[in-house]
Amino acid sequence: MFSFFKKNKEEKSMIFKSPVEGRCFDISEIPDEVFSSKMLGNGIGFESTDGVLYAPIDGEILQVFPTKHALILKSKEGIEILLHIGIDTVEMKGEGFEAFTEKGQQVKAGDKLLTFDNSLIKAKAKTNLSVLVITENDIIESVEFKLGTVDKNNEVIIIKLK
Amino acid sequence: MMEKKAIVKSESGIHARPALSVVKEASKFKSEVLIVKDNNEYNAKSIVAIMCMAAIKNDELIIRTNGVDEAAAAVAMVKIIEEGLLK
Repeated sequence: MFSFFKKNKEEKSMIFKSPVEGRCFDISEIPDEVFSSKMLGNGIGFESTDGVLYAPIDGEILQVFPTKHALILKSKEGIEILLHIGIDTVEMKGEGFEAFTEKGQQVKAGDKLLTFDNSLIKAKAKTNLSVLVITENDIIESVEFKLGTVDKNNEVIIIKLK
Repeated sequence: MMEKKAIVKSESGIHARPALSVVKEASKFKSEVLIVKDNNEYNAKSIVAIMCMAAIKNDELIIRTNGVDEAAAAVAMVKIIEEGLLK
């Protein structure tokens, strides 16, 4: 008897905008097994041309790492994502990074979250290639990626929810 | 229930990769494994929770375990946090 309602239920989905102006690419290209092998979850790699990270979705900032190279954002649907700038950038201890948000803040897609110095990252860390990880969640039905050259208004991830 | 103290000794604290090591270790045990920092409890089997804890060097954590293998879990968690995360 519930199938009637199910069929007519609007399909629930979430759209992620690009976290940067630059390019988005397959997460397997990230030179760090923790990310490329999807141990932390599925997602995309991205590279910024101007050193600004934007919120890809509306949500709450769960944490900004003390070193400002990564943050965790939670959508109202309950999807939790990690945005991590560069690889081995934790060693930079915040140098070259600036946070424009903080733990507990509500943000909208397109809001500026962090800025970072790409040339400093290239000089001091392993790479400036960055990752967006969608951490595992039972409410996810499927995930679709649209990769390539992007500006911050491009849609790059579509998640269908159960 | 069992509680043990652990001090974060790694230079860069518990960020993405170390958080994964912590979660992998905790997940070996049947017991509930919580890490307490500044009076907030974090589920040591959840990668998001441990990354959200954002522990840095010299932070004092309390490992709180509850279940059939709580003693072994507490010992193992102290070991991974104090020694396992050092490169």
